[in-house]
Amino acid sequence: MSLLELKNISKIYGELKALDNVNIKVEKGEWVAIMGPSGSGKSTMMNIIGCMDKPSLGEVLLDGVDISKESSKKLTEIRRDKIGLIFQQFHMVNYLTAVENVMVSQYYHSMPDEEEALEALGRVGLRERAKHLPSQLSGGEQQRVCVARALINAPELILADEPTGNLDEANENIVLDLFRQLHREGTTLIVVTHDPEVAEAAQRTIVLEHGRVAREIINENFQE
Amino acid sequence: MFIRMIRGALFRQRGKMLLIAFTIALGTSLATAMLNVMLDVGDKVNQELKTYGANITVKPKDSSLLSDLYDVEDEGDVIQTSYLKEEEVGKLKTIFWAFNIVDFAPFIDADITLADGSQVKLVGTWFNHHLELPTGENLDVGVTSLRTWWDIADGTWLDEQTEGSENAIMIGTVLAEREGWKVGDTISLEGPASSCEAVITGIFDAGGDEDEQIYAPLDLVQELSDTEGKVAYIEVSALTTPDNDLAKRAAQNPAALSAKDYETWYCTAYVSAICYQIQEAITDSVASAVRQVAESEGAILDKTQLLMILITILSLIGSALGISNLVTASVMERAQEIGLLKAIGAKDRSITGLVLTEILITALVGGVAGYFLGFGFAQLIGRTVFGSAIEMKVMVIPIVIVLISLVTAAGSLPAIRMVLRLRPAEVLHGSKA
Amino acid sequence: MSRRKMFLKMVTASLLRRRSRMLIALLSIAIGATILSGLVTIYYDVPRQMGAQFRGYGANMILVPSGEEKMTVEKAQECLTVIPKDQLLGATPYRYVNVEMTSRQRTFVAAATDFEQVQSTSPYFAVEGRWPEGDREVLVGKETAETIGVKLNNVIELSYKPEDTYVKNTLNMTVVGILETGGDEEAYIFTTLKAMDALTGVSGQLDVMEMSVSAASEELENYAAEISENNSDMSARLVKRVTKSETTVLAKLQSLVFLVTAVVLLLTMICVSTTMMAVVSERRKEIGLRKALGASDQSIRAEFLGEGMFLGLLGGILGTALGFAFAQVVSVNVFGSSITFQPLLLPITVIVSMGIAALSCLLPIRRAVEIDPALVLKGE
Repeated sequence: MSLLELKNISKIYGELKALDNVNIKVEKGEWVAIMGPSGSGKSTMMNIIGCMDKPSLGEVLLDGVDISKESSKKLTEIRRDKIGLIFQQFHMVNYLTAVENVMVSQYYHSMPDEEEALEALGRVGLRERAKHLPSQLSGGEQQRVCVARALINAPELILADEPTGNLDEANENIVLDLFRQLHREGTTLIVVTHDPEVAEAAQRTIVLEHGRVAREIINENFQE
Repeated sequence: MFIRMIRGALFRQRGKMLLIAFTIALGTSLATAMLNVMLDVGDKVNQELKTYGANITVKPKDSSLLSDLYDVEDEGDVIQTSYLKEEEVGKLKTIFWAFNIVDFAPFIDADITLADGSQVKLVGTWFNHHLELPTGENLDVGVTSLRTWWDIADGTWLDEQTEGSENAIMIGTVLAEREGWKVGDTISLEGPASSCEAVITGIFDAGGDEDEQIYAPLDLVQELSDTEGKVAYIEVSALTTPDNDLAKRAAQNPAALSAKDYETWYCTAYVSAICYQIQEAITDSVASAVRQVAESEGAILDKTQLLMILITILSLIGSALGISNLVTASVMERAQEIGLLKAIGAKDRSITGLVLTEILITALVGGVAGYFLGFGFAQLIGRTVFGSAIEMKVMVIPIVIVLISLVTAAGSLPAIRMVLRLRPAEVLHGSKA
Repeated sequence: MSRRKMFLKMVTASLLRRRSRMLIALLSIAIGATILSGLVTIYYDVPRQMGAQFRGYGANMILVPSGEEKMTVEKAQECLTVIPKDQLLGATPYRYVNVEMTSRQRTFVAAATDFEQVQSTSPYFAVEGRWPEGDREVLVGKETAETIGVKLNNVIELSYKPEDTYVKNTLNMTVVGILETGGDEEAYIFTTLKAMDALTGVSGQLDVMEMSVSAASEELENYAAEISENNSDMSARLVKRVTKSETTVLAKLQSLVFLVTAVVLLLTMICVSTTMMAVVSERRKEIGLRKALGASDQSIRAEFLGEGMFLGLLGGILGTALGFAFAQVVSVNVFGSSITFQPLLLPITVIVSMGIAALSCLLPIRRAVEIDPALVLKGE
């Protein structure tokens, strides 16, 4: 059984079809990139997968359960339990320190645990910066904190929206290395991007155009 | 472009701007209402204090000077030898402070003998005497409105403007009980000069010596005592300004004041100034303040005004802080937008100008709405408490305008400066705001 | 770390690290609380203080013998015990006697009284010179003084002939003050009760007792009824001119302060909540982020409410103190007396502040949590 399956998904805003009959399957442990130019429906799809939006038509099966008709309250629960989110804008609570930002995620999920949070920061190489406020961290560091925050609750799926969009190349590589590591550990990754280099790091790239799946590319150079 | 940006901010951020305008409107209405109430409260309370009755009495100049030093058989009662002229009573409304003379009544007393031989004090006065002044003004004056604390136990107030009132009288409760008189009874009164029959129209409870006396129209008493056209004393109820040092010095001897002080004193409604002017208007008269009323009146007026001033100051501070606070918050909220403007090369000065103009326009809208809201609140207070409208002083408008502009500027400028000091990159990355 | 600890940590971090915003919100609540506690204190204190001012109008109750008999000093004093001590501002005995002034061959009304009490029951008596201190000193009414031409420090001889004798009693008195009132009192000569007893040879008699009682007219009527009931030979009456007018005017003043308080409070409270709303609205993005991280609406509400209530608590305490200081300033400046702190006001102010803070947080939070987290997080 696939971890995630989109069946005949459409999202319609008035006249505009942001997504038009899309079918996608993502297996457990897979690393998939979703690529496409602006307006191709990437963000809409990301929102639907991230349980922040519902499709107009079609089914979204997560772990075999259809979530497309659930209430927003239920969606919040599902998101909390199964999905880790990483945003292009980092989005940290600006008055909390790095480690506290990680703990916020724990807090809403289950139980805040500082040791565990520090460990997660250690994995992204920021243990030393745990007590710093977002304003004292560089963009790359902030994004790494966000990665730590996304993985702290061991989600089944990590969903990243342009995770390297605001980063320089050095930081981009650090983040991609982190993704590789996560992949090796068996985490399912979906990365939405318009950067071919980032897409190439994934096992499989799905290209969206005008709300439809234009093609799928299997990355032959993929390194475990 | 400047105008377009401002329009954009005002209309597209309508929610936020409305909140600011709303708060400014509240602050303005508070300031407007309190300032107006504060400025008018003196007049209003002064009116209320008139319930205590006359605060000035006017007597003939030499009534107290005894013409006959050897006249001792009368058990200490000074025999009235000089009088004021009844025709001059109306002159009270011609003095400089005529407008402040609220009410007055002339009096003349006579000792009369009743049918059973007992002696009773008869007081002649005006009840609701109709006066037509040379100025064309019409008014009713007399004890009906001057003796607010009298309760009419039976019957009604004597109405001078009805037929047959020339022989009508009112009597005190104590006398009525002693003599067994009722409303409608006709009794005979024997005065020093002549006698007559009179009908009782009302019995009053004054809670004082008057309860043993008879009150009758002035003409009736003058006839009984052969004092036509004469008045023993006048009680005057006037709106006055509480005395200060100048008024106290003037009360001693107005002639000793410097020309400037004299003018200030004469043109202020001090009780002593009004007394002085009454003396000027009425021949051979001495007007003096009834200290029991005048003193307390001054104290209460002063206290009430001071109280209102302090409450007004508190609410002004409150609304000023409230407004500047909100404006600060709203400027800080826009840190990102300001950072962006800065990033695309806007000068600090032009950003400041832009934000300030937006806020001032919002303040103007809120301020105008707030002024009318405040007007409403002031009238609500006036109507509920005093049963009359609060006079809206024009001088409040500039005060409020200056206050609101200062407060909005004071609230936004430091915030704008603070936001401008931030580095645009930081602001735009949203990590600091 | 427990969930509660994390909750507290988030709340305190928000309060401490977003200092400027929190200061604004705190200031705003403190202003509201100051005005609340200040005005309420004044509102409760004004009737008492103003009532005291109205006592400037003089006696509002008199005690007179109900028959022809005069009353005695002891009896009058006994009647006074009906009125609580702290309400009785003054009680002045008066005995009126017609005395002759030897040098002028004139009869005057002499009022014998207690000068200390006069000053409290008739504060409007204005004396040129000074109040008499001994039994050989008198106060002469202005009218009488002008009539007979006496000046300060003149010595006058007063005489009185008791009915059953042919011998006149005489006393030499020094005029130490001229009394000005604008009323009937200006025709009298005032002496002490002792001097009058000596002059007439009869002691302990009174015609009237004037009282200044700090009480509402209903209460006064009760006292008067009680005195008249307990003593058949005496009756207590209200001075209607004073009591009735006081009731009217004081009621007006009280409703004035009440209405002003209500209007100011209403407007200030709305002002406070708009500021709070602005401060919370600013954090829409943060709310969106928390939602994306899986926060339930309820936990977001709890965090913001926790923060708001804490600010309410702090602002309430601060405001109570400032408000009391303000009320104290008002009281000292306006009425020249200090006020006592009403302990009940602290919890009331704090609860109201917390309530207002909570209420004004709720509205923007509700709006923020309704918004799709995706919309908030996208862009910018």
